[in-house]
Amino acid sequence: MLQLNKNLFISISVAAAVSLTLSACMEGGATPSNASTAKKASIDGGVMYPMTNGKTGPYYVNEKAHSTKLSFGRTPTKAEYDEWNSDIMPDGTGLPEGEGSVEEGEETYESKCVMCHGDFGSGGGGYPSLSKGNAYELHETLTNQRLKPDTDGPVRVFGTYWPKASTLFWYIKDAMPHPSTDSLSDDEVYGLVAYILNINEMEIDGEEVDDEYVLNREKFLKIKMPNANGFEPNIDGPNGPDNVRKYFSHPENFGAQKVKPSERCMTNCQEKTAKVAYIKGAGISDFHPPLSAVRDLPKAKESGFSVQKAYTTNCAMCHGAEGMGAPVAGDKAAWAAYTSKGMDKVYANGINGINGMPPKGGSELSDKNFKSVVDYMISKSK
Amino acid sequence: MDKKRIQQELDTTASKNSTVDRRDFLTKTAALSVTALAGTSLFASEESGDPAILEPQKWGTKWGDPITKNLYGMPSKYEHNVTRRYTKLLASGNFRASIAVTPIQESMGIITPNGLFFSRSHGGVAQIDPNEHRLMITGLVEKPLVLTMKELKRYPSVTRTHFIECPANGGQEWRGPQYNSLQFAKGFMSCAEWTGVYIKDILKDLGLKPEARWMLAEGGDSSKMGRTIPVEKVLDDAMIVWGQNGEALRPEQGYPIRLLVPGWEGNLSVKWLRRLDFASEPWYCKEETSKYSVLKPNGKAVQHFYANEVNSTVTSPSPEIDWSDLKDGDVVEIEGLAWSGMGTITGVDISFDGGNTYQEAQLKGLVLPKCWTRWSYMHTYKKGQELLLTSRAMDDAGYIQPTIDQEILKVGVEAVYHRNAVETWKVEKDGKVTHVEIRSQYGRDKNGELVIEGKA
Repeated sequence: MLQLNKNLFISISVAAAVSLTLSACMEGGATPSNASTAKKASIDGGVMYPMTNGKTGPYYVNEKAHSTKLSFGRTPTKAEYDEWNSDIMPDGTGLPEGEGSVEEGEETYESKCVMCHGDFGSGGGGYPSLSKGNAYELHETLTNQRLKPDTDGPVRVFGTYWPKASTLFWYIKDAMPHPSTDSLSDDEVYGLVAYILNINEMEIDGEEVDDEYVLNREKFLKIKMPNANGFEPNIDGPNGPDNVRKYFSHPENFGAQKVKPSERCMTNCQEKTAKVAYIKGAGISDFHPPLSAVRDLPKAKESGFSVQKAYTTNCAMCHGAEGMGAPVAGDKAAWAAYTSKGMDKVYANGINGINGMPPKGGSELSDKNFKSVVDYMISKSK
Repeated sequence: MDKKRIQQELDTTASKNSTVDRRDFLTKTAALSVTALAGTSLFASEESGDPAILEPQKWGTKWGDPITKNLYGMPSKYEHNVTRRYTKLLASGNFRASIAVTPIQESMGIITPNGLFFSRSHGGVAQIDPNEHRLMITGLVEKPLVLTMKELKRYPSVTRTHFIECPANGGQEWRGPQYNSLQFAKGFMSCAEWTGVYIKDILKDLGLKPEARWMLAEGGDSSKMGRTIPVEKVLDDAMIVWGQNGEALRPEQGYPIRLLVPGWEGNLSVKWLRRLDFASEPWYCKEETSKYSVLKPNGKAVQHFYANEVNSTVTSPSPEIDWSDLKDGDVVEIEGLAWSGMGTITGVDISFDGGNTYQEAQLKGLVLPKCWTRWSYMHTYKKGQELLLTSRAMDDAGYIQPTIDQEILKVGVEAVYHRNAVETWKVEKDGKVTHVEIRSQYGRDKNGELVIEGKA
């Protein structure tokens, strides 16, 4: 993401001069004149296979195909660029103007987010938690290691772990709510960010993000994440890539082992203390379909449609318990609020999706079968 | 060719062959003749036998399907158990941010068929109309570009065989073994022959500016999956691919196009790719900070942990396909896979005592950079003997797989990603195979460093 000079889209002719820089880079390592580049460690700590003598590693190449400047496609328009240029960088580039309060955020959250992320961002339905409490206190848990059974691990949620707040705004704007993304206004996103800061008990510029707080662009840029300095290597600034290179040239930084093949351990390679550890109990065996190496004919698919099974598979996650923002199956009073507007409306909402609910709950049921599942949920006894 | 010439050729070939083989053949022939002379049958018995042989099968006497059926071929219906599998424990909600893993216990060679290639998405599998899909390249270039899929395929094509591995492969087992299954313990990866273009070939005409240090790759799916990639890798071997094992990418792999970042974390190979943007500073995408970062015991997390490190596993036997049918004295092949995102596999060692002593195994087949490599060891099976089968691979970058103790002492047990310590299958007395780990108990010293408990 960068603020583009409007000239950029019309001044293609200047490209040729600058592209020299690129071709010099690209041949780095391949040509003797760039011997110093060749010796430079790779950025990932691994081996590179530069194109040389018509080959890269074991693969033959047509070197002419990779040295000829080719030109296809066209220059995008400004409108096209803007439409897709939705990223938001830590320095605020791309962050729109706007504002939203904790109160508005909570309202949006209750209607569009709670069915997956649970009450107060506690998590649920297989979706991540957004908060576990006070971010500053829980940040201290990042050194926790579950070395023994029944110990607490590190808390890795937005407030305790994420290094940048820009990531949250960008992600909510582009990729939430999960079943219907890119559907929130900038103000709604400000509200949601404010709410998430609130449930993480965070402050901005010394001020607590309390229930009355109103967030805007200016305040957003003052957010300091508790774990801002919790990541290594430092990737920012002109030395970023070289910092990464240095980091991965030290195997001990990332738990790797380097050895000359002739000097590798062949006897007594395990610690005397190392013992056989077995799977506890049955371990994880929730596998679908169940494990089998048998060669036989597949079982005939269950003919007929089971309303109960369809409910369990597609609906129970949100409609099966309180606190997910959806009317609970069998809760006659909760459903009455919807059915009083007519069953056609209830069916239509379900089929087309509403708030956080995706069309047909994300199922692939026919309209007829879907309606019978709705009927089942309403008539079900708790 | 007439009969006489064929006979001459055979004779010449035979004389060229080693005399040992020839003698061996003659001895066997003589032995058989003796048996025959003694009047004993060569056969197990005179009557009865296997109905699969004795009874005519319907497929041997009736027409098969017309060639007009299944114009796009499908596996035999008897192979239905060779399939991707999922677990609800690794699924968000209704399986839109989830993973289905490859049955590597059934994998042959180094290529994963497209229907079995592991499938991971962050917002479901997008079904994209290629006519309505565009790739846009913007940011610190002199000339931004937009390409249709047809235009993209005009650049000179490159075909490479590389594995793609989710860095969470094995990531549920930092605190002990959990899956009695090869598919789930190591199947968050697959390997294919990819066809596409080098990004550097497209960039030649665009004039990348010197201050461009990072590239954002972003998907056109509902999750807009994005990752920051260093320009150095972009100018080395990163590709935009549309071909997978000789046909178009499957939707699960990002049809019509995905990024391919050879050897690096699978999520960097962004699927349903629609945008590449160049900048001087990194983006801090959700999937490179909140996830896919490795938390160490000192509370610091490794970010931009790119390459999947050297790794290996025994694929035969496995918990799924064990040795319970073997007889005492059977000579059997132990087979496995080795791979490294940092280079080319140079060797694999095998241990029968859980990684305490090792012997060299043989590599076999093609050995390619950042690619699955097959290895093999011939073993005489002793019924009733327990074994702890452990493999250990090395690569040409100089790395070797660590023991579990070595890896945990450096990165702890909360890393989630990039676990590449040696893996062990226990062969039980009855030939069944269970997943175990060989590891110590850990504690912390007064400086907070992880240490092995009880170590003298």
